[in-house]
Amino acid sequence: MKVLIVEDNRELSSGIADYLTGEKYICEPAYDFETASEKLALFTYDCILVDIMLPDGNGLELLKQIRRDDIRSGILIISAKDALDDKVKGLDEGADDYVIKPFHMSELHARLRAIYRRKKLEGPSNLVSFNEIELNTDTVEAKVNQQLLDVTRKEFDLLLYFIVNKNRVLSKQAIAAHLWGDYTDNLSNFDFVYQHVKNLRKKISTAEGTDYIETVYGLGYKFNTSKQ
Amino acid sequence: MKLINKITMWFLGVILLVTPVTMFISRNNIKKHLDQAEISRMTGVNDHVYKQLLAGGKPDHYTHGRPIEVSLYQGAMPQQKVQVRKENLAEDDMVKKECRITVDSYYPIGDQIYKISSYNFVLNSQDIFDGMLYTVVWKMLIMVLGVGLTARFLSRIILEPFYRAMKAIKEFDLKRGDSKLKLPHTTTKEFQELNAFLRKMTDKAAADYASVKEFSENASHELQTPLAIVRSKLDLLSQTQIDDRQATLIGDMQSAIERLSHINRSLVLLTKLENQEYKTAESIKFCKVTRNVMDTYEDWIKMKEIRLHSNLDKNVTLQIHPVLAEILIGNLLSNAIRYNDEGGQIRIDLTRQWLRISNTGHPPDLPTADMFSRFKKGNQCNESTGLGLAIVKQICDVNDFSVTYQFEKGWHQVKVQFRQAELPTVEGSGDMSREGQLAVS
Repeated sequence: MKVLIVEDNRELSSGIADYLTGEKYICEPAYDFETASEKLALFTYDCILVDIMLPDGNGLELLKQIRRDDIRSGILIISAKDALDDKVKGLDEGADDYVIKPFHMSELHARLRAIYRRKKLEGPSNLVSFNEIELNTDTVEAKVNQQLLDVTRKEFDLLLYFIVNKNRVLSKQAIAAHLWGDYTDNLSNFDFVYQHVKNLRKKISTAEGTDYIETVYGLGYKFNTSKQ
Repeated sequence: MKLINKITMWFLGVILLVTPVTMFISRNNIKKHLDQAEISRMTGVNDHVYKQLLAGGKPDHYTHGRPIEVSLYQGAMPQQKVQVRKENLAEDDMVKKECRITVDSYYPIGDQIYKISSYNFVLNSQDIFDGMLYTVVWKMLIMVLGVGLTARFLSRIILEPFYRAMKAIKEFDLKRGDSKLKLPHTTTKEFQELNAFLRKMTDKAAADYASVKEFSENASHELQTPLAIVRSKLDLLSQTQIDDRQATLIGDMQSAIERLSHINRSLVLLTKLENQEYKTAESIKFCKVTRNVMDTYEDWIKMKEIRLHSNLDKNVTLQIHPVLAEILIGNLLSNAIRYNDEGGQIRIDLTRQWLRISNTGHPPDLPTADMFSRFKKGNQCNESTGLGLAIVKQICDVNDFSVTYQFEKGWHQVKVQFRQAELPTVEGSGDMSREGQLAVS
């Protein structure tokens, strides 16, 4: 997957690029509006990450250009502005989703992946699978060894989050933010995360699936694909 | 007391004070002038008679319609050629109101001195005064009435710029975008000064407010990016080969960053609420939002083995931004869960007038008055930023709701009273249907 990262902050841009390169994505940075506009005119990308606030322009203008030129990339807005109007505005302009700074890398990746899926850019769009595990994002059904797993919505989301970010250490905070959203004054309910992960692992094991999820001491969890 | 009433009172006071004084003065003047006119006329008559006498004519006793007396005067020529006498003749009723003025003129004719006297009756000053009193009473009455009536009218014209300025100040709202004070044009100097002063003051306030607002917005916005960088680098760092000790350190940092970003986000939200950025004209189904939030927290409630009772009226529509409604209920409910005992209880009641969330738990540690202040926490646990209830309060303020807390018989109760005008409801809904069911059963 080829991704254009339109973000004026170089450290953040390189951080995102680092993480996504680890997922075998090809990342190109654009640090200002001008460069981004140029690159969009010259190359095609599968996904575009757009920061709303750019030194020489508004990211929303970029969205207009994308729409005008009929570019069919997935668009994810990165916004420091928390204003709800900004998000809505961005979505009206044709963005697919947004993340608000400061975001978790795994969250950014999951959202990017979801856009990619929705845009039907890879295989059967509603299916995410890994070895014996198969997830249908439309029907919210999880199967292990073709056997339907009785999971709750949260557990499904959790499993999908793990598979999308496989072999990555997911912090408890990132998982909590993913499952709960982060609007409520509800700091990382870690016990709750633990409970969910525990239930999920139990359910997968019961269905005779491999217990890929492992605890990473002090940090969180990891979906380890090398586990047998 | 209204300004115009005060002015009217003063005016009337001055009238009451001045009128008797002017009355006294004018009475004296009139009397003096009347007497003077009479005297000079009679002096003239006397002179005329004298000339007639000189001419050798016989003066008529009633020359010029006045009794005239000509007599020989014994003695030396008086110093004053003309002498005036005023007499009040009290014996006669008819002449009581009048006063007799006699003018004696002395003329030397040859060796002899003749005295010519004439008299006439003039109005007594008391009588003039009586006549005037009647007029003055009427005059004062008319003036009081006139002042009283025109004052209202006048105040409306003269004080109009003042009233309009007052209205403008009343309606002035710093938090609105167009915080320019609209003042009426006036030709009155005082009001011009007042307007200039008001304009200066409000412009200053608006500028200060804008800069504070800008600062807080910029500060929180500028914080977001460094936070995002730290978080992303920590994420990357945690993907590398690290030992347990390092992992613990990174984990601690992640929690701190989490906390920081939560506080920052909450402060941004509070600032935006203060700026009234979430004004909305759309109505939402509050009951539906409540139910959704309850679903979101269902797992957590189950995990703490809390029993949840809810009693939600249907079709509770409120004019509030949907996200704010979600945050409002979410914060209250998550507090009710967090500060609850394992195996405790939560009650949620929603009617068209209020929402009440009650939960069991330890009695409050801090004064309940501080409950809605920022960074006040029941116990210094790390699960909360201490901004939850401050946000609840702010959301309520923005939407004209009132929020109260009380602790009663082991139950914490937070009640949000909706103060909005009730929206028209869908027929056969909510209370109606519930009452209907009760009646049937």
